[in-house]
Amino acid sequence: MGPLIPNGIIGEGWDFVIAILLGIAFGFILEASGFSSSRNLAGVFYGYNFVVLRVFFTALIVAMVGLMYFDYVGWLDLSQIFILPTYLTPMIVGGVIMGFGFVIGGYCPGTSFTGIAIGKLDAIFFTVGLFVGIFLFSLTYPLFEGFFDSGYLGNVTLTELTGIPAPWFAFAFTFVALAAFWGTMLIEKRVRKNMKQYKF
Amino acid sequence: MSSEKTTIQQPKYINPYLGGVLLGLLILVTVFITGRGLGASGAVKSAVVTTANTVAPNATEANAYMKQFVSDDHSPMYTWLVFESLGILLGGIFSGIVFGRMKKIRTDHGPRITSRKRLLLAVIGGALFGIGSQFGRGCTSGAALSGSATFALGGVIVMFAIFGTGYAVAYFFRKLWI
Amino acid sequence: MRIDNLNDMNRNYIFLTIVMLVLAAGTLFLTTSDEPKQIAPEELLQEIIQPSRYVTTDQVAKMIIQGDPSLLMVDVRPEGEFEEYALPGSVNVPLENLLDEENLSYFGVPGVKVVFVSNDDIRADQTWVLTKRLGYKGTYVLKGGINCWMQTIIDPLPPNEDAPKSEFEAYAFRRGAQIYFTGAATLAPDGENVQVQVRRREKTNVAAGGC
Repeated sequence: MGPLIPNGIIGEGWDFVIAILLGIAFGFILEASGFSSSRNLAGVFYGYNFVVLRVFFTALIVAMVGLMYFDYVGWLDLSQIFILPTYLTPMIVGGVIMGFGFVIGGYCPGTSFTGIAIGKLDAIFFTVGLFVGIFLFSLTYPLFEGFFDSGYLGNVTLTELTGIPAPWFAFAFTFVALAAFWGTMLIEKRVRKNMKQYKF
Repeated sequence: MSSEKTTIQQPKYINPYLGGVLLGLLILVTVFITGRGLGASGAVKSAVVTTANTVAPNATEANAYMKQFVSDDHSPMYTWLVFESLGILLGGIFSGIVFGRMKKIRTDHGPRITSRKRLLLAVIGGALFGIGSQFGRGCTSGAALSGSATFALGGVIVMFAIFGTGYAVAYFFRKLWI
Repeated sequence: MRIDNLNDMNRNYIFLTIVMLVLAAGTLFLTTSDEPKQIAPEELLQEIIQPSRYVTTDQVAKMIIQGDPSLLMVDVRPEGEFEEYALPGSVNVPLENLLDEENLSYFGVPGVKVVFVSNDDIRADQTWVLTKRLGYKGTYVLKGGINCWMQTIIDPLPPNEDAPKSEFEAYAFRRGAQIYFTGAATLAPDGENVQVQVRRREKTNVAAGGC
């Protein structure tokens, strides 16, 4: 059955309509969870707000486990979905730079859009920054074009890399996530008396 | 102590685990319908290319990176991610209305810095994130979240790199937030 | 009162944690088939009536001479015939053993072109239909088989005097190939076959996307 559009079950003309609808759902969920505020987002790195951990990790394990079931009942052909390609070193470098950007800027692209939606000026500035950053990247691209394409391993999945079946990863991530949820809940209870109330 | 609590308003957020479950289901639905996950940084990239192409088309054609995204028959903005990002904006507005967060323009900042400093840092952070997202072939939504959810090695690498770095350097930027 | 609320909340969370663990553990026990999906009869028919699966002996000869790494010749004749003579670099998978697991892993490797070889092309064609039915891509048939190989490469027929120029060019190529395959330049002595390093199948991905 799935994925529907690549298999022609839904016509390609609907592509962009569906994109907007999915985006609306995405934006709503993000904003409703509090991701529209940079202070909430940065909180995960300082231990005063674990919302990023909870939402991100929960979404990850729900999606992973869900994909396994969808594949099993035949709703989704996992060999037809897009797997992010691996460019080993560039991606690590990119992730590190993004880590800095996250802590300094307090947003990531998707959340900055929700921040703009509710009128956060720093979100607007962050998005402008994104624009500038990508532009700078394009201008300096010829300098590191070789590096940019280095470390290409193909569209590798964890299973292809290690031979360990995907459900094991799903379970492992789930276990770690749940442990983290309980752990942070206990931490929060301990410091509940000292927790600053926030208003954003 | 109790008087302190009554004067400060707790914004209405949904339970984060509920948000996570909904987001996870959304990713499932997205992959089921389109065969790919969600994303965000790609839309900004499209915007950059479109702007450059409108202002200086020859230079854009000559740029090794941007010319990959320029096409003769349609604007670079005519991509899935751009429409999805438009949706994110709308969804954010919708949620803001429902939960009463549509207010006048304001800036979040930590208690120890000024709004002005925060805005400058936001641009810097955004620029870094923009650069990083190109190397990483995505941002937290596209590469880290959607990538990892589909068990892509690249997604997991980016995820650990972003959050690992964040935790590692958070201490040095603590004045910004706490 | 607040403590009661906390206990309720904790109970709900404990319940949800258990549910999530059970669901995740459940995925460990799902048995999913590792083979590609079989294609529908209509699709198979479409593929059969197209001649695009045939490769000529000239094309294969060229690929062998150039050392094209994407070529994998699978000889589906019985072992005895394979030992007598086989194309250099080809692998022997007698048709009876085609569906053995270890033989199936030759097929569906991204980037590898599997060319089925038999004496005529009948057996090879049958093999092709079978593997097509199983959904494998990248499979081809050597048109005319080993018999045609003999007539065009090993012992090529010179063209008639009034034949078009292209036939003379083809003949020139075949003479060169003949020397390559039967002269001192053969890959292995005594017609013994070279062990080819083949890549086994891994999962493939089709849809394109970005972020």
